[in-house]
Amino acid sequence: MSFGSPYMTLPDFTYHRPKSLDEVLSLLKEHGDDAKIMGGGVGLIAFMKERLMSPGHVIDIKGVKELREVKHTAGRGLRIGASVSISELVEDGVLRDDYTVLHEALAKVADPMIRGRATLVGNLCEAIPWVDSPPALRALDASVEIAGTDGRRSVPVSGFIRGPVDIDLGPTEIVTALEVPRVQGRRSTFEKFTAGSEFSVASVAVALWPEGKKKGARVIYGAVNSTPVRCEEVERLLGEELTRASVRKAADIASEKVECMSDVLATAEYRKHLVKVITVKALGRLLWK
Amino acid sequence: MRECVVKVNGQIRRTMIKDNELLLDLLREELEVRSVKAACWRGECGLCTVLLNGALVKSCLVLAVEADGGEVTTVEGITKNGELAPIQKAFVEHGAAQCGFCTPAWILTTHQLLKTNPHPSEKELTEAVAGLICRCGTYNQIREAVADASKAYEGARRAPLRKG
Repeated sequence: MSFGSPYMTLPDFTYHRPKSLDEVLSLLKEHGDDAKIMGGGVGLIAFMKERLMSPGHVIDIKGVKELREVKHTAGRGLRIGASVSISELVEDGVLRDDYTVLHEALAKVADPMIRGRATLVGNLCEAIPWVDSPPALRALDASVEIAGTDGRRSVPVSGFIRGPVDIDLGPTEIVTALEVPRVQGRRSTFEKFTAGSEFSVASVAVALWPEGKKKGARVIYGAVNSTPVRCEEVERLLGEELTRASVRKAADIASEKVECMSDVLATAEYRKHLVKVITVKALGRLLWK
Repeated sequence: MRECVVKVNGQIRRTMIKDNELLLDLLREELEVRSVKAACWRGECGLCTVLLNGALVKSCLVLAVEADGGEVTTVEGITKNGELAPIQKAFVEHGAAQCGFCTPAWILTTHQLLKTNPHPSEKELTEAVAGLICRCGTYNQIREAVADASKAYEGARRAPLRKG
């Protein structure tokens, strides 16, 4: 049925449900730009309804076994297949304990029905500035595993997101998995500020881990600019110490150094204020935990 | 067009579908299951919620072809031999529907919740229904209905839901 509105119908396409990665790649080779990969379909179906995308071929990867797996290995850490749903990750105890920042970010994505369908890889590939997985993944130094008709490669999440809605992925390539290294003793947390929806107006992902006598740190701000922003000044400070006084200082430094944008949700000035607030909240949680 | 075979509320249904058809349209228009409501068409209000292979999904965000060979349960499917499920009775008793348009989705969702967690905390209930909107605002009555029905679901605890 259709009422003729673009919000209710989908453009014509041919649906494919390959069973192996090789099949996916040969479909991509054949159709290239005219094909779109579908994981949960939450994003793709919405984009197609609005005619932001009108692919001639939709390749559903839920039938490919090797893309459905979450693997924990002591040495290499966590490997999340492309069609793993966000719900599955939220229910994963190891993720909650060892990759807390990612767990906290994902637990607040949309609602349970959407999380049951949506995939983490899909969420990342949309590269929308106000979603929470990119900063969380960057705080954990995650990398993106890509397979293409010309072979496999791996890029860090920081390089994978080139700009808003712009990722480092060719028309005959597919993201097969995310790899997140496991770091002994790492603690991490996620904090965000929203304004009436689940989308962040400003967010921060923090990870701290022991590194010799000092500490290693990653501090990544999301939704404040078109791509996640790393604040190395705050990371250096946290490497030295995490005290009540340094939390205040870190918040002031972040607010000054992190470049913020103005858009329909908030002005840059307001975002700078939010950066200060969420920095105190996130670091405070790590300090007292 | 391709043939699609779906088990809907225990009944095998065969129909021809297009690749770009939504599960919502298949259910409402082809199979005439009108308890599945079409409202926002963009996954925000949750009134098209159904169980697909045991998992709650918003059928406006699922392709019909994805249900091929699978099983769909709508609110009609939770009634056993003409006997309303406990949550359905509680909805009636507490007047948890005003216009009633969203009621099938709420009943299905809260029924699923109570089956796995018969005594949800306030937070767990709020989280479980986060994807649903009642435009009349009968949230308090729904909360009362869920609390009232809780007892009837004790002992009915099942394994966690399968993924869709």
